[in-house]
Amino acid sequence: MIEVIEENERYIKFLLKNSFPAFANSWRRAMKSLVPTMVIDYVDFYVNNSFFYDEVIAHRLALIPIKTDLNRYNFQEKCSCKGVGCPSCQVIFRLNVEGPKVVYSGDLVSEDPEVHFVYKDVPVLELFKGQQLMIEAVARLGIGKEHAKFQPVSVCFYKIVPKITVLENCNLCGACVNECSKKILRIDKKLEVLNILDCSLCKECVKVCENKAIKVEETNDFLFTIESTGALPVRTIMKKALEVLIEKAKEMNKILEEVHQTS
Amino acid sequence: MSGIPFDENSSDFPIRCFSCGAVIAHFYEKYKDLIKKGRTPKQALDELGIKRYCCRRMFLTHKSIIKELIRFHGAVG
Ligand SMILES: [Zn+2]
Ligand SMILES: [Zn+2]
Repeated sequence: MIEVIEENERYIKFLLKNSFPAFANSWRRAMKSLVPTMVIDYVDFYVNNSFFYDEVIAHRLALIPIKTDLNRYNFQEKCSCKGVGCPSCQVIFRLNVEGPKVVYSGDLVSEDPEVHFVYKDVPVLELFKGQQLMIEAVARLGIGKEHAKFQPVSVCFYKIVPKITVLENCNLCGACVNECSKKILRIDKKLEVLNILDCSLCKECVKVCENKAIKVEETNDFLFTIESTGALPVRTIMKKALEVLIEKAKEMNKILEEVHQTS
Repeated sequence: MSGIPFDENSSDFPIRCFSCGAVIAHFYEKYKDLIKKGRTPKQALDELGIKRYCCRRMFLTHKSIIKELIRFHGAVG
């Protein structure tokens, strides 16, 4: 079960309740490395007499996320063109500028008006007087497993939500309140826990308690934080990752059945 | 504020944060504008909504090397 705490198109914070670490971690890993996005992967340089090397410019272009429509494009290896490159598996961005000028990501003209950079104001490089840059950059689909530039998320992590129990023999000495670095404990007639989601599971309160009256345990709940780079909405990333996981589970089932039949 | 480089060339500012991978390059010129208006780096970064300290240090410690690159222009590339 999922309980959303904070959400917008690029960022989500939610609780995954009553699950287990194997699922939480495989979901996280799928979001990071198995969800495809479109990114510049190949750049043809016709003219470049700027102060930057071709490789540096190609590298910088590849790091700018592109708004991706997953239904619109195929993977190159699965495309009918067999990886040669055609309009249904790649998009070409063209640029021809002369200095003096700062080249922004928005200056690149896309072949397909629906496919464009998420941020149009990323400075790529500065051209000085008499310098020219003429390039053709090819974007294609890929997954984070292949190269980190294809990752649709920048920050994607979970933590186990703890449970803090105060036992009967607490003498309200307040040592744990002072020791807690996240300031989640308070004494108001009895020891109270303020915001359990802030707890970092450091267990300093357990160590400092002389009566051993406080207990910090792990639960089956997970607090996820996901931040999209903008290539895909965060909900799409979550959904697509689950689809990939289902595919993988089905494949695993098939392998198990085959093994079972042959043995 | 002295010693903090804030008027560096933005064209070789890293596009992504080295640690977390968030896109940050489009904030650098806005950051410079805010500093020029008299904000401290802390206020400017808070205003731009850069929360994590990995991303914040990218702004605080950026040093443009384009002037150094110019000296080698034509010699090797
Ligand atoms: Zn194709
Ligand atoms: Zn960062």
